[in-house]
Amino acid sequence: MQVASEEKLARVYDSALLKWVWGYVRPYSRIFWFSVVLMPLNTMFVLAQPYIVKLTIDLFLARRPGTIGPHWLQPLLRISHGHGLLTLGALYMLMLAGEFATFYGQFYLTMMVAQFSLTDLRIALFRHIEKLPMAFFDRTPVGRLVSRMTSDIDAINEMFSSGSLTIFIDLLTLLGIIVIMLNLNARLALWSLCAIPPLLIVLNFFRKRARAVYREIRERLAALNAYLSESLGGMSVIQLFTRERESAREFDDLNIRSRDVQMMANVYEAGLFATVETLSSVTIAVILWRGGGQVIHGLIGLGTLVAFMEYAQRFFMPLRDISTKYTVLQSALAAAERLENLMAEPRTIASPPAPRLVSNPRGSIIFEHVDFAYRPGEPVLRDLSLTVEPGQKIAIVGATGSGKTTIIKLLTRFYDVTAGRILVDGVDVREWDLSQLHRAIGLVQQDVFLFAGDVLDNVRLSRSDLGEDAVTDALARAQALGFVNRMARGLHEPVDERGANLSAGQRQLLSFARALAYDPRILVMDEATSSVDSETENLIQRALDQLLTGRTALVIAHRLSTIERADRILVLSHGVLRESGTHRELLDQRGLYYHLFELQYASVGSAN
Amino acid sequence: MKRLFGYIRRYRLRYGFGMFCTFATASLAMTIPFLIRDAINAIERGHSERLVPLVEGIALAAVGMGLARWFSRFMLFNCARDIEYDLRKDLYAHLLHLGPNFYQRLRTGDLMSRLINDLTAVRMMVGIGVLTFVNTPLYWIYALAIMLSLNVPLTLASIAPYVFLFAVMWRLSHSLMERSLLVQEGLGAIGAKVQESLSGIHVVKAYNFEDHEAARFRSLNDEFNQHNLALARLRGALLPLIRGAAASSTMIVLIYGGSMVMAKRMSIGDLVAFMSYLGLLAWPTTAFGWTISLYQRGKAAMRRIDEVFNSAAGVAEDNGDAIKLEVAGAVEWDNVSFAYSSHHDGNGATIENALTNISVRVAPGEKLAIVGRTGAGKSTMVKLLTRLIEPTSGRVMLDGRDVSEYSLGALRRTIGMVPQEPVLFSDTLARNIAFGRVDAPADVIIESARTAGLEGEIAALPMGLETIVGERGMSLSGGQKQRVTIARLLAYDPAVVVLDDALSSVDTETERAVLSSLGESVRGRTTIVVSHRASTVRDADQIIVLERGEIVERGTHEELMATRGVYAALFRRQLLEEELASY
Repeated sequence: MQVASEEKLARVYDSALLKWVWGYVRPYSRIFWFSVVLMPLNTMFVLAQPYIVKLTIDLFLARRPGTIGPHWLQPLLRISHGHGLLTLGALYMLMLAGEFATFYGQFYLTMMVAQFSLTDLRIALFRHIEKLPMAFFDRTPVGRLVSRMTSDIDAINEMFSSGSLTIFIDLLTLLGIIVIMLNLNARLALWSLCAIPPLLIVLNFFRKRARAVYREIRERLAALNAYLSESLGGMSVIQLFTRERESAREFDDLNIRSRDVQMMANVYEAGLFATVETLSSVTIAVILWRGGGQVIHGLIGLGTLVAFMEYAQRFFMPLRDISTKYTVLQSALAAAERLENLMAEPRTIASPPAPRLVSNPRGSIIFEHVDFAYRPGEPVLRDLSLTVEPGQKIAIVGATGSGKTTIIKLLTRFYDVTAGRILVDGVDVREWDLSQLHRAIGLVQQDVFLFAGDVLDNVRLSRSDLGEDAVTDALARAQALGFVNRMARGLHEPVDERGANLSAGQRQLLSFARALAYDPRILVMDEATSSVDSETENLIQRALDQLLTGRTALVIAHRLSTIERADRILVLSHGVLRESGTHRELLDQRGLYYHLFELQYASVGSAN
Repeated sequence: MKRLFGYIRRYRLRYGFGMFCTFATASLAMTIPFLIRDAINAIERGHSERLVPLVEGIALAAVGMGLARWFSRFMLFNCARDIEYDLRKDLYAHLLHLGPNFYQRLRTGDLMSRLINDLTAVRMMVGIGVLTFVNTPLYWIYALAIMLSLNVPLTLASIAPYVFLFAVMWRLSHSLMERSLLVQEGLGAIGAKVQESLSGIHVVKAYNFEDHEAARFRSLNDEFNQHNLALARLRGALLPLIRGAAASSTMIVLIYGGSMVMAKRMSIGDLVAFMSYLGLLAWPTTAFGWTISLYQRGKAAMRRIDEVFNSAAGVAEDNGDAIKLEVAGAVEWDNVSFAYSSHHDGNGATIENALTNISVRVAPGEKLAIVGRTGAGKSTMVKLLTRLIEPTSGRVMLDGRDVSEYSLGALRRTIGMVPQEPVLFSDTLARNIAFGRVDAPADVIIESARTAGLEGEIAALPMGLETIVGERGMSLSGGQKQRVTIARLLAYDPAVVVLDDALSSVDTETERAVLSSLGESVRGRTTIVVSHRASTVRDADQIIVLERGEIVERGTHEELMATRGVYAALFRRQLLEEELASY
């Protein structure tokens, strides 16, 4: 259903879409036009060849030479002093050379345009997607974006390389053949073309069927592959729940459906192939039958007859390809449409046109009556106000879903507040230049993301100005140098997202080193909950000291030590700030926090 | 390759028929130029009465050829489709019986590429590859025989460009294949980079990494561009080469043959016949060079497929019927040790025991809790129970019999386990819950969902239990997913219940609630709960604490708290942190 509507849309917006694609081709339009100009030239060279064959036969070979040839040929033949055959051979070679040069030039130039413009498109898309708000990533699976950037762009590439974009050139060739045949002999031309109507009927039948079949192929193959990928990923669950037979049956269903429709396509394709071939041979028979009589009666030369046979052959090949090219064009346009939609996705969170520049931020944070909801009507934070002086360490505690991580996401402007405002160094985060804001705020998250590359790359990230010494220093302060040095290639040890060679604790330490190297004024951290062995725990404690010193810090705390060390503790419950103060103050308040400690002593008491 | 021949043999009749049709196609196709020759000669000599039967002959041959071509192509191509289908089916069936070791070694992406790209390569080899492999020599034999019978010197002269074409194609098609593989890989790398950058988009944004990532993306694209243009340079030359060979031989026929015609040593009909034959040879000759690369690529692909087939199942046996056993539910680990073998690590990491001399006995209907830090060996212990892995030494027993003595299907039907990572499939919520018991009645599904604490969520979903979830449907939170997997276990209704830290993503409060309602519904069944939270398992009949693969403490909650050891410390600490977090 969805695909059907997609294709319908693609038809409606055809011209608008082509214009959009053209926007990326335009910078290379000179190359493009040059390649376009080469096409009719190529057609000319191709169509001249049978004509030379005709001249050769009529002038030199046939027993009853019908003509003396066209005027332009006369001087050439006079110069060649009886070597007319060789002259025509040379002419033929010339046309052939012309055909090569124009074809190769045209093909390569088109591919150049395609590669250049599609690379531009791909990079523009990438840059655009990077700037999209987090809310976009919440609702869009990464896999879908990957296929936009690969299969969809490839579909457009296919349009260039298969010559679908220049379908009209094929039509030009057909027209050229018809004109030449009509010029040579109108009656024979009409006889030669009598296979066209049945061919068009077959082509039309095929076009309709093929489109439906190709769409089915795409859908069924996609379903098969999706199932496969999911099952392979969840294989142990299939096995644990003894679903192997069921799963094999389901897979077989999909496999059969995919096979059957592909077989159907084979029957159609082979049918089309065979029909065109048959009709082209039948046409030769017709030409021989009708033209043969004319030759015998001296109405036309034998050469003309042979030329007709050659032209008829050339007439059918492009016709066979047209429906394929049309299908390619359709799917390219459908892809272009999806890409255009992606490109039109608004960058709702961006730097303002005239950002307020903050030189040397000191690191104060103010939340003023902040409300926030990911979805309308489901508030996550309500009327949150807080002030953090430069250099203060704040610990946030609260249950899952109380809004702790949301505070971090709002501060880094991954999302914008629903109401109220957030000031960093007295300036609303929405007035900051985004990259400056991100430069001022370092983020350490629970799950550490590692990029494919080595340790060095992963620590310095965007700070490519940092030398190995600086990175080593950061690793040392993050207590990570020990295990990095133990690795075979040290700083240059490759790591990746799967990070199989690193333990959870080591990954945390690496992320600390990353933040230390980044050296932000403000550190926001979501402490990892996963438990680590006591040795690593010690390292983490020491690294935390290093990390927190000399900056403003906002930490979603899970460790008791972190909480006790904080200048102030914020107790969050259901999106509302319930208590705030130092460890001492909160205990004195005898509120929630105090209650927690009572609980703790009670449990220790019971253990005693 | 031997395996592949087994598959091909299944379709030998259809292959045979396809080959016969190919043979018929070639025979008829090669008759046509000969008839044209006679027709031209008749015209040249003015024998109009002889023209009509010849023309009829051509038309007839054309129709016959069309039919034969149609059959030959789709018969052979569909055999290839069938072989692809069979291979895919058998591969999947095999994959269903491979253990976690295998999936550790070959990742999903790699496997997918074998099941998609490599199978395609094999299909091309046994389809269009076979067709050309038969067709081309046939065409050549026919054409050579006829042309030689007409005129020997002209034949030798005019096929020279084709010999050249064939030699060039032989060399070219290999580079063509290599370059297109490079392009394919380039596209794969681009996809992987997009995947990576966007999965880490929060880090990219927070660390101002956008420009760097874009630059890296650009360099991948530039490389891809280079490969693409290198391919284009070859591909662009392909068609001119073919056309060039064909046209050159036409020219040779025109000049050399023409001079013979002028010297009355040959008829024009022969000349036209030569032109036709040579025209017919162009594509098959080209395709033959291509076939050789198809064969090479197909062989390499088949090797990669064989590699999967030859991977022995982690637990090597057929699953047998998955019939729930009537068991009392006594579970025992008897002096069990286990070590993971490290094969993916080049720098010779020591193989440490994940479990050492574990002995635990759980009486029927008892609840065992296994606690300990991440990496202590908790999951390993329960995986042994369902034979996802096999012990290095010692025995794991159910009702006093070694678990390996049961059929694997029956064992897993009897012992239900929820793994740590929740896996949902792109299907309705109801079918995800009824995953292990397809025939589970609706009320069982609803009751299971209720027990797993999903009632509220289901009411909020647009289509309730019929909502599609998973990758291609509604996305659920980690905690919601975990509760769906709990519901799945309940619907499965096993005799022994194993939860491998299956509620790690839900908050303590909810975990407690779900565990207590779960406890109600599985009362009387042996239950084994793995948790990194000590506080949620205090009601267990027996608690063991693992540390570095060894049992360091065991007893009831009260006993362990009294010993003031690891468990007590863990419990106090976690209780505090949880209580803090729960505010």
